[in-house]
Amino acid sequence: MTVASIRPARTRVPALATRARDVLAFEWVKLRSVRANWVTALAAAAATLGVTVIVARTAAAVPAHQATGSLAPLLASFLASGEYTILPVSVLGVLAFTSEYASGLIRTTFAAVPHRWAVLAAKAAVLGGAALALGEVLAFACFLVAQALLSGSHLGLSLGQPGVPGAVLAAGFLPCACVLTALGLGAIIRSTAGAITAAVAVIYAVAGLCLVLPAPWKTDIGRFTIGFAAYQVMSGHPQRGLLPPAASMLVLIAWPAVALLVAGAVLARRDA
Amino acid sequence: MIELARVTKRFGALTAVDDLSFTVRPGRVTGFLGPNGAGKTTTMRIILGLDAPTTGTALVAGRRYRHFARPLRQVGSLLDASAVQGARTARDHLLSLAVSNGIGRARVTEVLALTGLDPVAGKRVRDFSLGMKQRLGIAAAMLGDPPVLIFDEPVNALDADGVRWIRLLMRQLAANGHTVFISSHLMSEMAQTADHLIVIGRGRLLADAPTAQFTGPAAGGDVLVRSPRAGDLTELLRARGAAVAVTGDGGLSVTGTDAAAIADLAAARGIPVHELTRRAPSLEQVYLNLTGASTEYRALGPEDRTPAPEGRALAPGRETEDGR
Repeated sequence: MTVASIRPARTRVPALATRARDVLAFEWVKLRSVRANWVTALAAAAATLGVTVIVARTAAAVPAHQATGSLAPLLASFLASGEYTILPVSVLGVLAFTSEYASGLIRTTFAAVPHRWAVLAAKAAVLGGAALALGEVLAFACFLVAQALLSGSHLGLSLGQPGVPGAVLAAGFLPCACVLTALGLGAIIRSTAGAITAAVAVIYAVAGLCLVLPAPWKTDIGRFTIGFAAYQVMSGHPQRGLLPPAASMLVLIAWPAVALLVAGAVLARRDA
Repeated sequence: MIELARVTKRFGALTAVDDLSFTVRPGRVTGFLGPNGAGKTTTMRIILGLDAPTTGTALVAGRRYRHFARPLRQVGSLLDASAVQGARTARDHLLSLAVSNGIGRARVTEVLALTGLDPVAGKRVRDFSLGMKQRLGIAAAMLGDPPVLIFDEPVNALDADGVRWIRLLMRQLAANGHTVFISSHLMSEMAQTADHLIVIGRGRLLADAPTAQFTGPAAGGDVLVRSPRAGDLTELLRARGAAVAVTGDGGLSVTGTDAAAIADLAAARGIPVHELTRRAPSLEQVYLNLTGASTEYRALGPEDRTPAPEGRALAPGRETEDGR
């Protein structure tokens, strides 16, 4: 018998899976216990569906041969989520770290879980999972609503058509990619205003800037932006000169991956 | 047990903690004293693995904080009571911390009751007074029933009842064998709570001694003497090597001898004595002397800076006093 055996619970190191479950539960309780997060998600969902109806009605009124670009039947389904889901969800991604830095709660968080990569991974899993669930549900719902309205004009698509399921899945993945990018930026920048500005720049403004660049640069640089890559994976009509859908999907994975890797390195090095 | 070994923390040109070594032992309340900006909070952050020391090591129970798998079961801490998110209820705040370290829900209810917060457990923290947030922070620190507790200025913003409650809690925890480490910039407060004091100034150790030693003979103090023949008595005392100063109201403040010797001397020479009072130094005075020394270092360039006296000595404060 050793002295240590008096307090076996204190000396036994819990299994990695147990610790992972604990830190996931930690971040999940924190996410779900702020009412504003639910309000934001519900408001985003309602706005996205509502605007999808408006877009689909407009698209349904357009003659078939003119139904191109954002009013093309497939893209019209996802047009609303670009602002009404992705923007609010990205703000929540930013706030996951910046609100803790602003209040000082981050020090309590790191005192509870000193392994900072673990905190980042748990936040990414919980937020990314929630954004993926919300994104996919909304993508399918918006697709079905939009196609129901478009079918009146014989423009409606069905999920069985080639390329359509992939486009819907990819559209549903976009909020997840953006929330994780925003999460990383929040951890790196720490101030809410700065991180939201950076997130909007990365998610929207960079692609917007590329649209006005002269010819070769517009696509050469643009194809690596979230906006152009998003178009490639969910339009059903990938443009030539940009990356093919599979490579564009990698672009959409690379942005959050890089943001999170830099965030992890910064969190691990910096004083809390 | 908390052990600091030669911990230094620099922020650019500023040295917040300067070669600090001390040990905080279980079974007693250890006060961590120093003026604002002395480096108390930085030291506590280093102990909790929040800030990395530039050099040196800080260990809790023989291990670095960052190596604990479930640290809340080892160390409970409260650095800043207002560092909570207002949108969350008290119960959810505690629940999130409990699950993070595999602590059961029942314990959340327990610490809510322990801190008297159960009636407001379902209220959002933004509506809490600072005193209630302080209780919430202490509840969070107690969640894992840890053997080591670290509190930064725990009685700030508390009313008299709250202060008494915290004092009692700290004493109980120490009596039960916990290691209790609490910081303050108020000596008077620490004098009533702590068994042992660690005093720092400008990041350096100034004193590390039992609280009693701060008021004992080594800490100084004087004897107040009143006599109608004060002049004669002063000459006699000075001839015996005592230091005599005249107080504002005509009394004599005598140091370097004790009350009995003064009385004997006066009786032998037939000098009437109207008052003879042994005065312990006020803790505040001892503390000001100690930290005054650390503010004096500030006026010197880094090259001229004399090394801070190590360990138990209360001498630095007295030297400063004598030097004035």
